[in-house]
Amino acid sequence: MPSLISPAERDYILKGIECNIRADGRQRPDYREVTLETGVVSQTSGSARVRIAGGTDVLVSVKAEIGPVLVDPETGDGADKGQIICSVECAPSASQQFEGRGADELNNELTQMMSRFLSHSGPAASSFLSTTSSSSSSSTAASTTAKTTSGAGGINLSKLCIIPGQQCWILYVDALVLDYGGNLMDAIFMGTRAAIYDTRIPKTEVQDLGDGQFEFEVLDDAEDTEEVAGREDMPLCVTLNKIGARHIVDASPLEELCTEAKLVVAVNRSGELCGLQKGHEGGIEPSLLLEMIQSGKTMGQSLIKQLDASIKKEAESDLAKRQRGEPVHKLGFFAQ
Amino acid sequence: MDRKRVAGPELSVAPLIEYPVDHKRWTPQQEKRHDSKRQPEDMRPIYLKTGLIGQASGSAYIELEKTKLACGVYGPKPVKRIGQTFSGRGLLTCEIKFATFSCAKRRNQMRDPQEKELSQILTQALSPAIRLDLLPKSAIEVYITVLESDGLGSCFSAAITAASVALAHAGIEMLDLVAGCSASYIQTGPARSISSGAESIPPQIFMDADLEEEKYEQGSIVLAYMPSLNEVTHVLQSGKAEGSIISQSVEHCVEACNKIYAVMHHALLESVKENQTQL
Repeated sequence: MPSLISPAERDYILKGIECNIRADGRQRPDYREVTLETGVVSQTSGSARVRIAGGTDVLVSVKAEIGPVLVDPETGDGADKGQIICSVECAPSASQQFEGRGADELNNELTQMMSRFLSHSGPAASSFLSTTSSSSSSSTAASTTAKTTSGAGGINLSKLCIIPGQQCWILYVDALVLDYGGNLMDAIFMGTRAAIYDTRIPKTEVQDLGDGQFEFEVLDDAEDTEEVAGREDMPLCVTLNKIGARHIVDASPLEELCTEAKLVVAVNRSGELCGLQKGHEGGIEPSLLLEMIQSGKTMGQSLIKQLDASIKKEAESDLAKRQRGEPVHKLGFFAQ
Repeated sequence: MDRKRVAGPELSVAPLIEYPVDHKRWTPQQEKRHDSKRQPEDMRPIYLKTGLIGQASGSAYIELEKTKLACGVYGPKPVKRIGQTFSGRGLLTCEIKFATFSCAKRRNQMRDPQEKELSQILTQALSPAIRLDLLPKSAIEVYITVLESDGLGSCFSAAITAASVALAHAGIEMLDLVAGCSASYIQTGPARSISSGAESIPPQIFMDADLEEEKYEQGSIVLAYMPSLNEVTHVLQSGKAEGSIISQSVEHCVEACNKIYAVMHHALLESVKENQTQL
């Protein structure tokens, strides 16, 4: 990960982008080749590894654990919801700049962005929309009423609840950056989507012991597991880098150094925007901002389609191999 | 454990308030704002004053009803930190700190991840406006203390506004002032649902939402904008929304930023006048 760029090199990149040809032969709206693999870490509930051809390598793992629900004391919200806790860590081995506390700021920025895009739970007291929920405590148990507004993260948090007001599943989504080749955020989100698709949560059996007492049992049958509800609606993000008067996607590290301003656009499959954040130290004109949002949106949607197709293909081929009794070979880490 | 400080309780819980029987909590169903005097596009009145912190090179204090924060700017001064490589550009560091008593729940004295992120975002929002290229080998420090927070979005946009006024007050060369503005998308009618196919009403955009309104928000946006250069220096949106809502709210925010700009102008002119009378 270089930290400085010479004026000559900057000029070369700038002029190239103006002519719609980039240093590696791509055009402005082109992505590099992405390698994706799921189910790479056996200890997790779901995992995925994403490699972008230029060098970015991200490993995302999802671990499902049981914990207490988090309730807002004022609105009483959250009693029937599970949680998603995100974290991003840049491994010191990925770049010399990540050594020691060097990656702290980047880690924090990426972690906060990821949690904002994934665990934004929508309006706090969404129960106000259903007409009969005047007594809020009883309505929490009746989570069968289809929630009208799911959060930006897409994942149905109510389905992660085991006993309303007491226990829920907590999904820990941890992304580990193993190698840095630009465009981290997109890679992390692709990896997260794939890892959530790979995630299987054990089923639970709740017993009512009477007078408000509940007990539950986690079924430890490997076959009897659930997928994460609402995973199709998870957003994917597209990072647009404004260089000169143009904008590009999937920037390489050198292009990132020339970037005046970058815009991260999170979008879901139906084209709704789930988050927006500007980065870097430059400005964008409002008209260009709207144009960038629009192109990020269309690009994100096509990216989701391609990603889903490749996840499905991999899952099918794995299943076919298992049925035939052949061992499933994974490429593993750092594989090209 | 920090032994120098009196430790507060480890866990803090907002007090349970018993409301009178006839008390009704505000819900967006009424299609009115929490503050009934305001229209959806109205902001709260802004009080902005410079020069209230004597020690700082420049300072500003901003109040939007219950959102109150102070900002102090120190510098430009030589970069002190050892190990810092030579930089041809000035170094801007921002620090935003919520006072422990500023929110409903007590906040820790230590900087939490959210504060760290907001500080980073603030740096990104302000640096396009400052002529950092004129200040090699020097550093500018911006400190913000939130005294009272009434909604995170409004608090953050107020921080941007106050910081840029304080920077101007410190006499640091800038291209333009940065005004910050926030908006929330709130569903005031039946929400769009995929299954029932009910009548859909797009969420309403409430400018400068307060805490009570933020609780019902579907999403929110914070925009930092330089009015005379017509440039957006930062945008932060969370929650789900249609593209049309976003473009609409960006327009609304730009409009509101122009209004805030007038207030900022006024505050700076006042400070100049005060200086003149002192001489």
